[in-house]
Amino acid sequence: MGNELNRRSFLNATVSAAGLLAMGPLLSACGGGGPQRAGVNSDSALKAVLPAYVPNTSIKPDIPSVAGGPDVMTEPGFLSYPANRVATVSGVPGKGGRYSAVTPLWGTVPPADNSFYQAMNKALGIQLDMKPADGNNYNTIIPTMTAAKKLPDWINLPAWWNPNFNTGGLVGNQLADLTPYLSGDNIKKYPNLAAIPTAGWRAGAWGDKLYGIPSFSTGFKIAGAIYYRRDVFDAKGITADQVKSADDLMKLGKELTDAKAGVWAFDDVFTYFYTAFGAPFKWKVDNGKLMHTFETQEYLDAVDWHRKLAVAGYVHPDALAGDNAAGTTRFYGGKTLISGGGTGGWNLADHQNGTAANPNYRRAAFNFFAADGKSAPRVDMGSATDIVSYLNINLKPEQIEELLAVANYLAAPFGSAEYTMVNFGVEGTHFTMDNGVPTPTDAGKKEVGAKTYPFLGAPPAVISNPTGDSVTKDFTAWQAANVKALAKPVFWGMNISMPQAQATALAAQGVEDTVKDCYHGKKSVQDVKDAVATWKTSGGGDRLIQWMNDNVLQKYGTGQ
Amino acid sequence: MTTVESDRAGRPARLDWRIRLRRDRSLILMTLPAVVLLLVFNYVPLFGLVTAFQEYDPLAGVWQSVWAGLYQFERLMGDPLFWGALKNTLYLSFVQLILFFPVPIALALLLNSVLSQRVRNFIQSVVYLPHFFSWVLAITIFQQMLGGAGALNQFLRGNDIGTWDIMTNPDTFALLVTAQVIWKEAGWGIIVFLAALAAINTDLYEAAAADGAGRWRRLWHITLPGLRGVIVLMLVLRLGNALSVGFEQFLIQRVAVGHDAADVLDTFSFYYGIATGDYSYGAAAGLFKSIISLLLIYGANKLAHAFGEDGLYRK
Repeated sequence: MGNELNRRSFLNATVSAAGLLAMGPLLSACGGGGPQRAGVNSDSALKAVLPAYVPNTSIKPDIPSVAGGPDVMTEPGFLSYPANRVATVSGVPGKGGRYSAVTPLWGTVPPADNSFYQAMNKALGIQLDMKPADGNNYNTIIPTMTAAKKLPDWINLPAWWNPNFNTGGLVGNQLADLTPYLSGDNIKKYPNLAAIPTAGWRAGAWGDKLYGIPSFSTGFKIAGAIYYRRDVFDAKGITADQVKSADDLMKLGKELTDAKAGVWAFDDVFTYFYTAFGAPFKWKVDNGKLMHTFETQEYLDAVDWHRKLAVAGYVHPDALAGDNAAGTTRFYGGKTLISGGGTGGWNLADHQNGTAANPNYRRAAFNFFAADGKSAPRVDMGSATDIVSYLNINLKPEQIEELLAVANYLAAPFGSAEYTMVNFGVEGTHFTMDNGVPTPTDAGKKEVGAKTYPFLGAPPAVISNPTGDSVTKDFTAWQAANVKALAKPVFWGMNISMPQAQATALAAQGVEDTVKDCYHGKKSVQDVKDAVATWKTSGGGDRLIQWMNDNVLQKYGTGQ
Repeated sequence: MTTVESDRAGRPARLDWRIRLRRDRSLILMTLPAVVLLLVFNYVPLFGLVTAFQEYDPLAGVWQSVWAGLYQFERLMGDPLFWGALKNTLYLSFVQLILFFPVPIALALLLNSVLSQRVRNFIQSVVYLPHFFSWVLAITIFQQMLGGAGALNQFLRGNDIGTWDIMTNPDTFALLVTAQVIWKEAGWGIIVFLAALAAINTDLYEAAAADGAGRWRRLWHITLPGLRGVIVLMLVLRLGNALSVGFEQFLIQRVAVGHDAADVLDTFSFYYGIATGDYSYGAAAGLFKSIISLLLIYGANKLAHAFGEDGLYRK
């Protein structure tokens, strides 16, 4: 138990730090003497090679997508599992080749050569040796493979670790260029891949070429939201819409905190709320001048507000003590009522765990609002997906075509025959239909439950929570209400590859540490200002901003 | 090598290496796995230290990375965070030396004075147990008991006494950390002292008692001199490891008290080297630590020899 706690809190720490990177431009590290870097995606040249988008219309969602700005749309919702499981691929895609694949897995590794793998190999027509690796250590496992130039035929490289993997240096050197196979109308050979919106392909594009195959692509990619306990709010007669500014939120903190009863209003929210103060996620261009978020007054205002929140005693002491791993437990137990988090956590499992702790449990999120209560709400959207797979450069063209056909199978739309196979296995062996819901058998839980194949290829994300319709309805409605607030930040989807020194400066560990100490109430805003000043002069900050200005902004523009 | 005649140097004659090899064959074979293990896991990786003098790029590999000379060390010397981490390490080490080091000795002496074997075994098991907990669990227990929302503070709050900030106070962090170490490791630390106590000839106690020596005189004149060798050895080892005060304990509590108070050299290497992909910088910090540690252990060993003790090896 102890170790798991450790791993999870570590994962949280890594992911939240990495999430910051992944949200903005995806940055890649590369040393001075390293291989040639892919450079930057320029808007016009990339547009010329991006695959055509041919949406799949064979399966209709119960709650359709709502469009926002360019490349923004909500995820479609399904209340029931499509009864008619249409087939989208005729015959088997493979031609009998043998390949190896490595994917990250946060969970128990299924037994090797199990009945599900065998069934998948049969369905795919290739011998695909699946080697799921521990997701918590994935960022340290992969660099040993790349250093030895021994990548498998097919590999998933989550984008939030692009700096660790140096993906920008791997493409073209160890990873295959898929542009000839997928650009423009070429993709129509693979209809399920063509149904992935173009924004998804940007996530795997480097230096104006297509390399990565995106999984779970979405038009609603954000860092996360500020969640609250809807059941508790309802019982107290509080409606979330009353909260229109940071001041309102602070007042709510006072109202909800009852330390004697062991209830604090807030868990950590900084990561998900600082942009509400008008600070950019990482970069902004002000009258042609490039500024890092640390340099903006809005960022300092955000840190100060969070410091006041902590000092006032509205934040749970365990959160202030850095115990992030138990954050959901605190939320389920009603020890905290407002908590920041990624949107991935708003799902069926959350509903089941929450209602197990309290039958009335209901998760909801505040609509985005500006801290001053007056400006229009705005939230920076991230790259369309972080889950991207790549093919080995040593594969022959016919092998690449074979694997792309397999990827096309894996990317079959939600509810199709292929999707059911990839996600639930063989009916009767790995799952049974229970009231129209695919329900895993014991074999299914053990062998299919890990869901490793979608890390190689998967359709665009949908919202589906069988037996938890309230979750699907709440989440889709919240997305629809907020879709207008999403906007592209500067350098969106440009996949910038930068030298190691700049990547280290961008990580700005010294500033991040001080900021965290400040919003936990241990440091003053002046300390943050000092840390930023040190970062700029001796931590490489000024050089980073100069580098970004000279190599990205002046050459390629903002990409908006 | 040929045989050397014995009487000239006053040393016993050295046998021909072939004869020695034949004689010690089984012993050498038995140590071989350990030697291989040491070579593979302790000596071969030393090669990686070369990255401390480079701008190491994992993709380019050690051979192709750019040579940077002493640049990383220059950066270290000019980095206030590094000096902060070094200061914390030395301070925590000093506090632990004063407050932790005597505890297992005292505990061993106390335990040794308990006559009932059963009570002794029971106490021993109880104090051993926390050693087998991970730091995560140990700190979780501390947080549950003493944290801001823990048992103690909720009790204080419930009785309107006001709360006591133990777990997130940077000023008293050294004491907290030492208390955690005592709770977790003191029981484990007594093993070696108990063994040394068992090695003391009981005749000495009987003779002293017959001569009218009381409890304290026996402790002072028999027990402590009997333990001296072991105590000095442990002290030498402790000093040599003065720059290694632990890693997980600080990693986990770093957010709680802030990085200014919690960063030690090992967490510094991790956060400012590995976590940000600045591998060479981390390696330089690690190498710096190793060199100082080597000097410390060398000095402590010299000191032990000067006091006529064995230290790490007999002179």
